[in-house]
Amino acid sequence: MHEQDPIHHNVCHYDGYRYDDLNHRKYPEDADVVIVGAGTAGGIMAYELARSGLKVVVIEAGPFWNPQSDFASDELSMQHLGWQDTRIVDGTDPLRMGKNNSGRGVGGGSTHWTGVFLRFHESDFRMKTVEGIGADWPITYDDLEPFYRYMEKEIAVSGPKHFPWGAFRGPYPYPERDPLSANAEMFRIGCEQLGIRSVVTPLAINSAPFDGRPPCINRGFCNEGCMPNAKYSSLVHHVPKAIGHGAEFLTDCMVTQIELDAKGRAQSVIFNHDGVEYRQRGRVIVLASYAVETPRLLLASATTGHPDGLCNSSGTVGKYLMTHSSNDVYGRFEQEIRLYKGTPVLATTQDFYETQLNRGFVRGYTLHAHGARPVAMGSGLAREAGIWGRRLRETMLNYNFYGRITMVGEVLPAEQNAVTLADERDEYGMPMPKVTFSYGENDRKLIDHAVVKMQEILKAAGGTPEFVVSDTAHLMGGTRMGSDPATSVVNGWCQAHDIPNLFICSAAVFPTSGSGNPTATVMALAARTAAHLKDELIKQHL
Amino acid sequence: MDNPFEPLRTHYPKYDVMHEQEHWDEHTREIVVKRFDLPVTFSQLTGAEVECIRALTALFVDDSRLKLLDYVVKHYDSKLASTIGEDQRKAGTPPEKVLIRDGLAALETLAQSEYSHSFTALSPERQTALLVGLERDTLTLQTPVGTKLPAPEFFKKMLTESVSAYYSHPLVWSEIGYGGPAYPRGYVRSEFGLTDPWEAKRDA
Repeated sequence: MHEQDPIHHNVCHYDGYRYDDLNHRKYPEDADVVIVGAGTAGGIMAYELARSGLKVVVIEAGPFWNPQSDFASDELSMQHLGWQDTRIVDGTDPLRMGKNNSGRGVGGGSTHWTGVFLRFHESDFRMKTVEGIGADWPITYDDLEPFYRYMEKEIAVSGPKHFPWGAFRGPYPYPERDPLSANAEMFRIGCEQLGIRSVVTPLAINSAPFDGRPPCINRGFCNEGCMPNAKYSSLVHHVPKAIGHGAEFLTDCMVTQIELDAKGRAQSVIFNHDGVEYRQRGRVIVLASYAVETPRLLLASATTGHPDGLCNSSGTVGKYLMTHSSNDVYGRFEQEIRLYKGTPVLATTQDFYETQLNRGFVRGYTLHAHGARPVAMGSGLAREAGIWGRRLRETMLNYNFYGRITMVGEVLPAEQNAVTLADERDEYGMPMPKVTFSYGENDRKLIDHAVVKMQEILKAAGGTPEFVVSDTAHLMGGTRMGSDPATSVVNGWCQAHDIPNLFICSAAVFPTSGSGNPTATVMALAARTAAHLKDELIKQHL
Repeated sequence: MDNPFEPLRTHYPKYDVMHEQEHWDEHTREIVVKRFDLPVTFSQLTGAEVECIRALTALFVDDSRLKLLDYVVKHYDSKLASTIGEDQRKAGTPPEKVLIRDGLAALETLAQSEYSHSFTALSPERQTALLVGLERDTLTLQTPVGTKLPAPEFFKKMLTESVSAYYSHPLVWSEIGYGGPAYPRGYVRSEFGLTDPWEAKRDA
């Protein structure tokens, strides 16, 4: 098979051109759509809109990576794939930011995700109706279903023939991954002993050649950036295709303000490149800038007419920020597991996904076998479990004898968990974001339940559970969608209630976190939003 | 207390991950090989700060080998020179660079007031006692000019940075049997009980 480096010739604004001063741009005055952020959602939207013939400009704060020369098989040196600009964190459970839950540079978080592709269940969209708390989504699973299906095909998701949970039961477009890692085998053995169903994880990672990209070589460095290009990222899939269809990508450009016209419609954004400010106009502006930077930009764009920030007539911009509880449990084994080998997540159960009244909390969690490398394991044990000195050294000398399971637990939306503006300013003169987060009682009960379950699985597989490392993963909310403009920021089409030509497309619009990994839903939502936006633009509705 | 920093037994005495470097991609090799280069002088840190970071790190990672400690010091030195953000900063905590530098000075002041000696001149037992006091917030950390610092935050910052740098060193990778860089080769044998021919083999 002919393998190509799909982005090598595209490290430029468009079609091989790049001017230093950024005054020579493709669509400076007449872009149809300006997208802020070239991550998963931004990449998908750029592709879908550009191939419809629309003039698309994407503005990305970070660089245009080339996996071959910018990525490395190394933990410490790849931290910069995360958004490292300082965020002030607060609350009783202040979040760990950076690479833990964000991306920077073309591809965004998809450069360092583990590729887990799980649809949300029908119940995820109806929490308020079913549980009487939290929020309902203004859309249902059925609204997203065609777009989940479309994305799975579009990127050749690999997975089992039969998936036992939720509305979608398989098969996936590409066969499930084989071989597994010892850690995934351990997990499946433990589950089987306990009568827990498990599967080979559905992954946005090639199990066979696809679209000029090779199958996975089990290198295991998903979190450090895939070098063979076997794992989906918008960097290696949607972005080069979008450029092929005429989209322009402006990189190392930080958007600092959204400007409105006299009628209160979004007119342009201001961005900073190398200390110089530029303006980009567009008929529609899409914020695909995730759960912290999106509310931050809206709040920082306040004007005399909008003193509380843009799109904020409801007062909910920044609020209802969620993460997933993602505690890890390590178990020691007699035989070697070697947590560094193979794709980090290769086995999963969703047997604990839905509410079960006898558990004493609502909603649930997904469990994954989850590999770990020495820096992540050592620093996690030190930081969160208080293991250092002789005990850490002894533990790490047995690194190869540990297995690890990780939870992805639902966190209920809470108004006080929020992104606000701090007093301190960053290098662009923008107020730094302050991220406040505290777990609620339901969240804690859910974590306790999952930790016991993970310990049981490790034990059933022949291991001795030793360490619990508190952690979180993913961000959701901050500009939630809803049908009531008084309590939400965007509608079911990701369109701002207050500004009809401003769209927000990322996990920032999630009203609830879901009990599993969010990216599949982000992707489906981006495809759906793009389809809608394309129709509206062609009909001249916007 | 056991003899501090007594070498512990590795399961993989014959394994040296650096023997595999010709199989690594160029970018990764460049990054990893550089970890053996130790500067004679540091651009940001003073001599006293270097000594203090070595002493702290030795306790955190239970290892007193200078070539590893100085690699960790190099990590701090480049961190202090960097303009990149710090991911997150807890509200009320000084910026990372201030926390590290003021914290080191404050630790010295604390050692002098508790034991009338420099921190680096104390026995590992006494040094550990001070660190545990910071970790549990039972000791007060105050700079020489009287600014109070959040002791557990300073402790956590230093612990996390030291441990992260230490476990990035190929010598340590070899000792724990970690396969290290794996591109373009990847793994053929990933299941239970299987290893590729070049991976670490346990001798006990």
